[in-house]
Amino acid sequence: MGSNTTEKALSMLRFLPRVCLSNIRPHPNSRIRDKRGRGQHGGDKHGCGNKGSGQRQNYMRLGYETGNNPFYLRFPHEPYYQRHHLRREYPPVSLLQLLKFIELNRIDHTKPIDLVSVVNTGLYKLLPDQRQYGIQLTDEGADVFNLKINIEVQYATEVVIAAIEKAGGVITTAYYDQHSLQCMLNTKKFFERGVPIPKRMMPPPDAIEYYSDPAKRGYLADPDKISEERLVLAQKYGYSLPEIEKDPSYDMLTERKDPRQIFYGLHPGWVVNLRDKAILKPQDEELLKYYAN
Amino acid sequence: MSNLCKNFTKIITQVATNRLYSSSYKSAISLDSLYPTSSLKLATPKKPPNEGQDKFTGYIPIEELDITYSRSSGPGGQNVNKVNTKVEVRFNISSASWINDDLKSKLLEKYKNKITKEGFIIFRSDVTRSQHLNLADCLEKIRSSVRSCVVVEQEPSDETAEKLRRRFERATRERLALKRTRSQVKSNRQTPLVNL
Repeated sequence: MGSNTTEKALSMLRFLPRVCLSNIRPHPNSRIRDKRGRGQHGGDKHGCGNKGSGQRQNYMRLGYETGNNPFYLRFPHEPYYQRHHLRREYPPVSLLQLLKFIELNRIDHTKPIDLVSVVNTGLYKLLPDQRQYGIQLTDEGADVFNLKINIEVQYATEVVIAAIEKAGGVITTAYYDQHSLQCMLNTKKFFERGVPIPKRMMPPPDAIEYYSDPAKRGYLADPDKISEERLVLAQKYGYSLPEIEKDPSYDMLTERKDPRQIFYGLHPGWVVNLRDKAILKPQDEELLKYYAN
Repeated sequence: MSNLCKNFTKIITQVATNRLYSSSYKSAISLDSLYPTSSLKLATPKKPPNEGQDKFTGYIPIEELDITYSRSSGPGGQNVNKVNTKVEVRFNISSASWINDDLKSKLLEKYKNKITKEGFIIFRSDVTRSQHLNLADCLEKIRSSVRSCVVVEQEPSDETAEKLRRRFERATRERLALKRTRSQVKSNRQTPLVNL
């Protein structure tokens, strides 16, 4: 491949002299020779015309429109919508709605809940094309929330985290990039494409700090520090922290996805065949290396 | 197509249903490679000890507090009439295990206006519309009152005390002098008693 030529180049470089001004030249045709025209077509007025500011080289400034308000001054700078096309949105789901979903058997609370479970109820719509990146859990219904659940959302405030932990549950905030979101929104359609499950990408630079913060229960945060933060929140909001390690469903509550995983129980790189009820796994070394990266 | 088949030769015909949520996948950025020294398990930490240089760490055992909810006052229509957002927290200072004894006497003295005959100190809050936030506010009030007892006020040095005394005396002298001049002005407006 390219390794041969690079090796050859590097071996040549060992014997060539050091780069200095005398042995480099500019890119061909990058410098235009400023030559004053001579002869019938290039001579006489040398392209400057007759009289006026043009021949006298006394030009008007760039943008000047001979007195009227120039285009570059007509419109003042009003940066109200600066970067609006880059801002992420998180359509909300309240704790009350979540409670209703669970009590009406739309979501199974004995299994870990994530974006896929909420979207599969059919009552929550997420549009990644409109820069919507996931679920935001709001605090309406925090006073009546009493179910032990393991939930993974994309954003949650302190009050919401306190309400869920008070009931004995576990909440995690995780990031899914747009490509992963498209796979999660209609999982049946995605599997029917016969494409390997992609790996989830890391959050963008302005979100990494949020998802590595134990106080926000980020999926990239240290679980030991999260345990400490649980006590801090319990002390702040005035409830005794339930001991989850003594809970019979401790394994279900602490079930977590790997940062590169999109679906529970499915690894990136696998191809799910729904018709034959089979999973195809990659065998090639390079593919395995790529998906384990 | 054949390339694809070559790469995906291993086929599993039946998915194991007993381990539906297996965590066997580990990428390069999994938690055990990000935090190698961590236990990676969620646990309930014990309360921090009250002894040592921190007389009060801020830890309050919530079970020992008596919390009651009631309806708040003020405007708000049907919502304020129905929702129990006001929080009242009370506890007995003498039997509180989480406050040091030297702090207890200071608390009893400093907050005697909040203490009942039986020795229960009461903290109330209805500042927000949410019960949880009001409870948090009550706890914050408790913590700040205990911390204010921990802080020892420094007495001023002899020089500073002397300075303050001289300032106070000068201010008193000026005030009385001003009073005397005003009084003289007022009496000058009256007709004199003896008409000579």
